Amino acid sequence: MTFDFGIAHRKHGSGEITVDDISYSVGDREGNVVELIDRCSFHGERGLFTALVGPSGCGKTTIMNMIAGYFAPDRGTISLDGVKIAGPGWERLMVFQETALFPWMTTLDNVIYGPMVRAEKPLRQIKQDASALLQKFGLGEFGDRYPRELSGGMQRRGELARALINDPLVLLMDEPFRGLDAMTRQLMQKYLVDLFEETRTTTIFVTSEIDEAIFLADRLVILSGSPAKVVSVIEVTLPRPRNFEMLSSPVYAGIKERALEILYAEAVAAFAGHGVTSDLKESFERRRVV
Amino acid sequence: MAFEIANIDGSADNAAEPSRPRKFLLRHASFMVGSLTILLLGLAWEFARPLGLPGLSRLPAPTAIVAASAELLHSPMFWEACYKSTLRIISGFCLAQIVGIPLGFIMATNRTIFNSAFPVAESLRPIPPVAWIPISIIFWPTREASTIFIVFLGAFWIVLLNTIGGVSTIDQTYRRAALSLGSSRGHLLRYIIFPATLPTIVTGMVISMGICWEMVVAAEMIAGDTGLGYLLWQSFEISATAQVLVCMFTIGLAGFLSSAAIRKLGRLLTPWSPNE
Repeated sequence: MTFDFGIAHRKHGSGEITVDDISYSVGDREGNVVELIDRCSFHGERGLFTALVGPSGCGKTTIMNMIAGYFAPDRGTISLDGVKIAGPGWERLMVFQETALFPWMTTLDNVIYGPMVRAEKPLRQIKQDASALLQKFGLGEFGDRYPRELSGGMQRRGELARALINDPLVLLMDEPFRGLDAMTRQLMQKYLVDLFEETRTTTIFVTSEIDEAIFLADRLVILSGSPAKVVSVIEVTLPRPRNFEMLSSPVYAGIKERALEILYAEAVAAFAGHGVTSDLKESFERRRVV
Repeated sequence: MAFEIANIDGSADNAAEPSRPRKFLLRHASFMVGSLTILLLGLAWEFARPLGLPGLSRLPAPTAIVAASAELLHSPMFWEACYKSTLRIISGFCLAQIVGIPLGFIMATNRTIFNSAFPVAESLRPIPPVAWIPISIIFWPTREASTIFIVFLGAFWIVLLNTIGGVSTIDQTYRRAALSLGSSRGHLLRYIIFPATLPTIVTGMVISMGICWEMVVAAEMIAGDTGLGYLLWQSFEISATAQVLVCMFTIGLAGFLSSAAIRKLGRLLTPWSPNE
């Protein structure tokens, strides 16, 4: 099964994100400084799908928010095609963890929102484009429904449409499939892979699921827990177009084994401070028997 | 609710094709039960009076109240009172929305204005609107204006605080998504902040409508020369107790109907919110 989108694609990919040596810390309630990100560097290469993988709560979302431009790192820079990011902009669009479709707008109004406020085209044409896009996303009949009336999978597709109608240079996805049931999640993963392979929009995708990351991405950036540090970068050498059969290939198993090894080592190190190392090691060892 | 009742009385077997009167009964089951309860309470009241319960025997019987209401419903004075009170409610309520909602938005989106205006609001708010009546009579040129002012005050604080609260609890994500998509400050206010706050504003409207009826009756009792509150107090002064009770029930009914109307309006304004 392959989804067909018919959206214009860029042969050479779109934007390139460079995260260069960024750190970020916040003050907690007692006035202590808590370091969330510690000197992170990685590349979101042009036309590639980069997955940030790490334990939940390790600061992945914070990195994404800084790439989106909602706040700036304390030190280091993030740039898009060599230009330093200074604030939010529609060339870097985020698909949020839980749906961020505006609940008070119909699906169609949500999708036209970006082009409408920027007034680049006459509204009638924007509406036509949006309807065509919704059709391609299997939401043709749901344009006049409110997000509340859509299923979880439809909401995520609606949100993808709302981002892609703006033709962003970079798509930022922060655990977009969290909270979906297993079937819908798999379907959405395949959907996203097909969409990416067709449009080749540079994508940075945050997840804590290693299988999801390998299936979708060209490159895994593995982060350690608080404060977030890049521990390893793994190239995913699986060919494109991707399909679920690849999940049982030896290449896949090898990549997963390497990634898990690094993640386990990090988790054990993180727990070492709490004096539960031996227990944890044991349970990890048990889980590793695949 | 209606379904549960249908199952209990064993009508589930022909639930697939209920007859028309049956359907009507099912749909209005809760209304029927409610009316029946009120009727039973009335009957209990009627027949408990001769038992000589303290207090109760001094009140008129429900039959006497029905007779008094029939009489009152034919007098133009009663309708004049209803009309006056309703007019005051509408004026005070609408003024509170017109002043409170924009002020709430301005206070919630501008830190300087918030910091200077909020302490003033917080120190005036705990004063019950009824306590304002004397000052209001002195300040405003007519009794009419002072009554409307009291009604206004009753609704105003709720409207103001609900609007401020609504704006400040908007999910950060919506604002961020809108900013990324290229919104200006004006776009944010019009397409994000205003609609996101609307459900809270509607809640404020419903609550404040109830307070408005409390305030109009209190103000008319103390300072009025017309209106339902005034009529109620006059009836008491001439010992027409049945008439007092009719006024009470009228006020209750009017309050109920106006709250229902506001709720209906709220549903029209926020078609995206789930019906509770």
